[in-house]
Amino acid sequence: MKLGLVIDLDTCVGCHACATACKEWNGASAISGPLTDDDPYGADPTGVWLNRVRHYEVGAYPASKTINFPMSCMHCEDADCVTVCPTGASYKRADGIVLVDQDKCMGCNLCAWACPYGARELDRSSGTMKKCTLCVDRIHDQSLPEPERQPACVLACPAHARFFGDFDDPSSQVSQLTAERGGFGLMPELGYKPVNRYLPPRAPPKVGASDAPFAGGSGAPALTRLIDAARRFAAR
Amino acid sequence: MKPALSIVFFTVASGAGLGVLALVGFVALFHLPWLFPEALPKVAAIGLGLTMAGLVSSTLHLANPRNAWRAFSRFRTSWLSREAVFSLALAGVVIVFSALLAMEVDGLPRRVLALLTIALAWIVLVCTAMIYGSLKPIRQWHTRWTPLAYFVLGHWSGALILLAVARYDASNSVRLAHLCLALAVLAVLVKAGYWRASRKTDGAATLERAIGVAQGVRPPITTGTPSVMQARLLDAGHGGRTFLTDEFIFRLARQRRALLLAMFWIAGIVVPLVWVIGAWWQTPIVVGACLANLIGLLAERTLFFADARHTVRLYHGDSRT
Repeated sequence: MKLGLVIDLDTCVGCHACATACKEWNGASAISGPLTDDDPYGADPTGVWLNRVRHYEVGAYPASKTINFPMSCMHCEDADCVTVCPTGASYKRADGIVLVDQDKCMGCNLCAWACPYGARELDRSSGTMKKCTLCVDRIHDQSLPEPERQPACVLACPAHARFFGDFDDPSSQVSQLTAERGGFGLMPELGYKPVNRYLPPRAPPKVGASDAPFAGGSGAPALTRLIDAARRFAAR
Repeated sequence: MKPALSIVFFTVASGAGLGVLALVGFVALFHLPWLFPEALPKVAAIGLGLTMAGLVSSTLHLANPRNAWRAFSRFRTSWLSREAVFSLALAGVVIVFSALLAMEVDGLPRRVLALLTIALAWIVLVCTAMIYGSLKPIRQWHTRWTPLAYFVLGHWSGALILLAVARYDASNSVRLAHLCLALAVLAVLVKAGYWRASRKTDGAATLERAIGVAQGVRPPITTGTPSVMQARLLDAGHGGRTFLTDEFIFRLARQRRALLLAMFWIAGIVVPLVWVIGAWWQTPIVVGACLANLIGLLAERTLFFADARHTVRLYHGDSRT
């Protein structure tokens, strides 16, 4: 088994619902919770998050695009965070999930340094490292209805930009989406073999002059012509 | 990377201590006339003291030191665990070795323990360096220059301490002074090599690579010529600082950097070198030269951390590492 996430950069709207749902579920989780906040209502608030969404602009205006970029643990196949751990607190499960045993961690930060993605954050109140658990306490919970046996971030996503599944199974939704849409892992050159896949933004449909929404309509062509003339005038 | 004082002190102090121990091993093994035999246990104690002071300092960096004893358990994969195991072994060996030296026992036991001390000191020195050198996300560290620099700088400090004791005791130490000169040259060479390698940008990761622009993340080309596929951070998603920004986004002011660099060259290299050549034996000068060297190396180690650029910085908007 190789459990992981697919994140669709085409449909992600950058709303941070995945990040807050993650914080909510895992903050009360027995696996790694609580996810402590320092000074939450003060001047200098900070705290532990297992999923963070960043926003980038790619290309130069006007041919540019905003990419919303959620990042959490990639559950790498060759996870250096596990091998550098001196205490054995970091481990990789048979289903592919990378976890931290909170009872063994000594808070040396070395795993966070070994992770190129910034997926691990130290909780200063417990002194231990926290990271995405892929909601291991949801996905295998037989008492939950089957559609709910998914990570909190996937269930919360209003844009349906997140998918969870087994990458070892070629018929799974995550495998098929990755194959169809050219899903890619981040920084493969480092050799960690990250499992999570990102789907690149789709090319937009071509909109030519003949396909213009107003073409053929009464009155509209005159209006477009007028606007065009005004534009040409302004550009002169 | 944030230069944590506990870690900076740890690498400098135990580096010097391990250098001392390796050299004491050589002196004892080959009966070198660099030091009086009575001085050997004293020097071994200084070496062990510095090494252990460094290791104790490194535990101050732990957020949950109650579990520090578990660090001996992942010997097979973790350089940090290897360091813990080998330094404990080294401590045991050095205590017995010092006792033999104090009792002036000669023959096979002395030779075996001297060899063990040299081997373990070298292994621990390499383990310490490889904790940093093995980290792929930090390209400045992930080179062979990292273990080389730790190895040479540790011996440079160690040889100075040996020379200090020799001059304090007024023993014949010309050869030791020659060794110090050679190590000073090597120290300059390895640091120059390290800085040259870290200035090279061809191996640097970029923000574009980090978010997969090469793999399909690109804007629709709507007008004219294709735009340069450059990416920039619009928003990091949080208003305050985070663990990641605290740990990885360390920015050193330019004047600060120049000051630290000057401290390394002047206090770490030039001042001790002048003392080696000048052959002064007065206690304040002897102690001052060794202290200057350690202060210079503290500056160098601070730079080692401050100049290291982790790939997490890309996701926070840096254009390259």
